[in-house]
Amino acid sequence: MSAARRVQQWATFGRMWYLYDAKWQNPLDSADKIKLYLSGSHKPIYHPLSNCGDHVVVMNSRDIALPGIEWEKRVYFHHSGYPGGASWTLAWELHQKDPTLLLRKTVYNKLDKNLLRRGLMARLHIFPDDKIPDSILKNISGQIRQLRQVPTRLDHIPEEKVKSFPRIFEWPKDYVIQ
Amino acid sequence: MAFRTLACAGKNTFGSVLHAVLPVKQSVCTSMLPCLGLSAAKHFSLSSQNNVKKIIVDESEKVTTISAEYVESPLAPRLLKKGKEGSHDCPLCALNLNVKHTDVLILSQFLRPDGCLLPRRTTGLCTKQQLRIKYLVTMSQKAGLMPNLAPSWSKKDPRKRYGSKKFNRYFDEATLD
Repeated sequence: MSAARRVQQWATFGRMWYLYDAKWQNPLDSADKIKLYLSGSHKPIYHPLSNCGDHVVVMNSRDIALPGIEWEKRVYFHHSGYPGGASWTLAWELHQKDPTLLLRKTVYNKLDKNLLRRGLMARLHIFPDDKIPDSILKNISGQIRQLRQVPTRLDHIPEEKVKSFPRIFEWPKDYVIQ
Repeated sequence: MAFRTLACAGKNTFGSVLHAVLPVKQSVCTSMLPCLGLSAAKHFSLSSQNNVKKIIVDESEKVTTISAEYVESPLAPRLLKKGKEGSHDCPLCALNLNVKHTDVLILSQFLRPDGCLLPRRTTGLCTKQQLRIKYLVTMSQKAGLMPNLAPSWSKKDPRKRYGSKKFNRYFDEATLD
């Protein structure tokens, strides 16, 4: 086939490796996005049996953010298989033990409950920080946009910007500067 | 034991009581030192407080002069909307902003250096806005976005907190309405 036609073939059917930065992102909303890329639903040539899913590399999974008091309220169930082996673990305890588990379980629970799920999970690579092995870094060919805006800490903002920021109110006349 | 003459000057009246020579005990001496420092963390007054803009300490050989004067506010040139003299309008209602808990530059203006909220008589906000700012500041502090505006004994880095508090969290401002 012609060169242009060959490029089109590779672009349509080649397996992509996407990078996703999970810093300050909600794992549940992120999993909704990631499952589309893992299954291949983001492609016009999608079919569940046509093996068109892509790889997703998630970094900074240690820095995911949960809303409100969910760290203390969300629980993860596990049964060892033995009698009396049921356990409920809080989200923060699980995150302390393994910072990748929370996101992995979230994506696993969001995927379709069929035999393809295990294969798709094998194409998901989660790293707790930004240290990614070179063999995976070389493959990365795209990036998934973050869903939530990453907030800046006050001490990370440069001092001149803090000092030059406009004031909302004026101190009253009898205020003592502290 | 040190003897110090406290002289009154300017509009500030610490009370005419202070024209006497006060014998200062050792314990009072050490507690007075931070008050007499340039960053006056505590107010010092024996009579009813007449709060002033700035307290100036003048230390010579044997005499320490504490005086006070009205100074021009350093915030005046940066003020967004200048209200009329003596107006009691709420500055936030006038600006019509949608303040989020991540807008740290706005929220930090309503805080003291140790992380405490300024009272309503200082900020000039209406009840509704003052309450809203209070909850937004609470959200922001729990999210660990203003670690430098904290008491001196606190852990400045949110990652050094205990248990579940060390992990990132965000809040939904719609829950305030």
